[in-house]
Amino acid sequence: MIYLDHAAATPVDKKVFAAMAPYFTEEFYNPSAAYLPAKKISADYEAAKGVIAHTIGAKAHDLIVTAGATEANNLAFTAAHGEILYLTTEHDSVRRVAEAKGGKAIKVLPSGLIDLEDLRRQITDKTELISVSLVNNELGVIQPLAEVAGIIREIKLDRMRRGVKQQLLLHSDASQALNLLDVSVARLGVDLMTLNAAKIYGPKGIGALYVAHGVRLEPLTLGGGQENGLRSGTENVPGVIGFAEAVRLAKEHLNGNRKKYAKWKKIFLSELSDYELIDKKHALDNFVVVSFDGIDAERLVFLLEAEEVYVATGAACAASKGVRSHVLKAIGLSERQIAGSLRITFGETNDEIQVREAARIINKAVREERARING
Amino acid sequence: MAKTVYVGMSGGVDSSVAALLLKEWGYKVVGVYMKNWSRDLPGMKCPWADDLADAKRVAVKLGIDFEVWDFEKEYREKVVEYMLSEFKKGNTPNPDVMCNQEIKFKLFYERAMAAGADYIATGHYARIGVEQSGSIILGTGSARPVVTGEPPLATSVVTSGAPQYNTSGLFPPILARAADENKDQTYFLYRISEEALGHTLFPIGDMLKPEVKKLAAEKGLHNAYKKESMGVCFVGEVGMRDFLKEYIDVKPGEIREIESDRVLGYHEGAIFYTIGQRHGLYLDGEKGVVNDGMPYYVVKKDIDKNIVYVSKNLNHEAIWTKELRLRDILLRRFEYDVLGTGSARPVVTGEPPLATSVVTSGAPQNIYSKSPQDNISSRPQDSIFEPFDSIQVRLRHRAPLIPATFDGEVLHFSSEVKRPASGQSAVLYDGKICLGGGIIV
Repeated sequence: MIYLDHAAATPVDKKVFAAMAPYFTEEFYNPSAAYLPAKKISADYEAAKGVIAHTIGAKAHDLIVTAGATEANNLAFTAAHGEILYLTTEHDSVRRVAEAKGGKAIKVLPSGLIDLEDLRRQITDKTELISVSLVNNELGVIQPLAEVAGIIREIKLDRMRRGVKQQLLLHSDASQALNLLDVSVARLGVDLMTLNAAKIYGPKGIGALYVAHGVRLEPLTLGGGQENGLRSGTENVPGVIGFAEAVRLAKEHLNGNRKKYAKWKKIFLSELSDYELIDKKHALDNFVVVSFDGIDAERLVFLLEAEEVYVATGAACAASKGVRSHVLKAIGLSERQIAGSLRITFGETNDEIQVREAARIINKAVREERARING
Repeated sequence: MAKTVYVGMSGGVDSSVAALLLKEWGYKVVGVYMKNWSRDLPGMKCPWADDLADAKRVAVKLGIDFEVWDFEKEYREKVVEYMLSEFKKGNTPNPDVMCNQEIKFKLFYERAMAAGADYIATGHYARIGVEQSGSIILGTGSARPVVTGEPPLATSVVTSGAPQYNTSGLFPPILARAADENKDQTYFLYRISEEALGHTLFPIGDMLKPEVKKLAAEKGLHNAYKKESMGVCFVGEVGMRDFLKEYIDVKPGEIREIESDRVLGYHEGAIFYTIGQRHGLYLDGEKGVVNDGMPYYVVKKDIDKNIVYVSKNLNHEAIWTKELRLRDILLRRFEYDVLGTGSARPVVTGEPPLATSVVTSGAPQNIYSKSPQDNISSRPQDSIFEPFDSIQVRLRHRAPLIPATFDGEVLHFSSEVKRPASGQSAVLYDGKICLGGGIIV
């Protein structure tokens, strides 16, 4: 089996799993309970949040723990009642919320990078929230978030000079980024940032929203008032413990992994034949997006599946309910290019031999499919 | 040149094996997923995306072309609207019958033919009768078993053409029950047009369900043991009332005991209830409901007054009958022409042969000889309807066949039958041959 879809899901690291285990069976107390063993759980929970927060240069109380990135994105948008701008290539969990709140889309350049001119054009005195992901989930493109923050700073200063009171916030979904980029909220200049354990070898169903001081959110769930009253419900202690361990491991291996993936990408692309490379230079090191001319990539997915090679496609696939990728469309690809596109994301389940083998198997599948089409 | 077949692929094992067989028989095969419904309903996830992926996965495995045809608008107009309007009239329609008539064997057929198909095919359990030297031979509709008496693989045989639709002018295409009596789906197919039937292949019609599954598993099809979808394709049997509530307002009314006319409780609208139903009745314990562990059944509905009548007596006269009047009757020309003597079955053996043992070989099993005295061409088409004696009737899918006679409007049974809900179909058979049917009034 060769798994090449680490942008979709990652296995839980064995160390992460081991760290979580006691909190399911022995350390199970409700952190809100009064007795000492429960207080210890509460302390462990806060310490774990602290580890996660520390990685992005924040404090434990700056994080609202959620059940995954989708919830964190939804919660982030409660900060805004005015106009909203969002990058057109955002994940559905941003796009759908932004659309529901009347948000307007910011264009991307053919490179997949944010069109900063379009951003400037669209900001008005009523704009309250701008949402730009750090790494796009389909292309792996890393957005120049610090530049966006720079523009926002300029506009805020200008508003102050003119006495315009409207706040202007920057939200970023950093779900895909935590294990391959150094993510400092101060350096990136974000007010709100979504984190996700499931993409960095942590458990699924756990995420967090970083909230800068002074940003006011509204809770989506009411109840016991956990997470600063913004996310009621008994704390997911094992989830947060696992998240923290995953973050710790990610940080430890950050530089080694980047070098490793960059090398694999180079090998993979040199062994692969007859393709068009879609992401050229702004993508994360473990992302490869390619298109095979005249091929229905979903057929490739099934052909590769039969060889136990698992990849994703941006084509109109059943899994995405027949909707072609809005991301690939936004960067100006033709229907034909989109139909033939595969997304390959390397990760910790792979090694160099697998990378070479995958290229060989994909070449074979493409050859077979071309032969079939030509009768 | 190999003939081209467009096969409807639902993602299930039956249509997957149908496609597999067509490929093995040497046809040029194009798989088509008909997207008829994709909306999730409260508490019910529509599995269309998974089904589509299953269908495409099989198509890729077989190395055949695959397309998705979007019929959602037409399905909504022709099937769902029909269904809702029938329910509003107090009837219990059968959407699968309508889906076959309007979508699979009309829209799909027409579009496939326009795209260059010689035939369409589906994974239905049913057979086609074709004329061969004065006999009617039941099979898949493909010339393969008929000509060679041998199993698959000869392209040359396939190209000789399959159903003998109107080539002789003697036999219109004949719909017949599947080899697997337990799975036979002709109950849902009796309203499809002759023209479509004349260009239809039922590749698994000769097989038993366990054989279909076994073949799928042997050929490595991943969905060999996929759970079958039951009932109405998109809601499932239990979901019908919830589905209807999405479109029809709840209108509370009385439940009365039919014998005493006493009000026993209340219901959510008579149109949501079906004769014979015993669940979902809100009976009021203080109103004379007899709690002896025996359920009350719906035996009658008054749509105008919005009253549902119930009884504990399963023998109540309201639910038993010896006669059923039909409307929207559709009978195949077959019986006018060939069976018009009154004996629908000029069978040599006197008995319709049973089809179970031989099925896998693909060889012809059921041979109905044509009486030499039949002078078909001279029989006027507008001759007075002659009653059908000694036919068999099926009142619901997989229900037993009941002997009956049909006078052109009313079915007569020799002993009482449980009255099906109005709007359901009665399907008529002579031996294995499906004569057509009608909607129960």
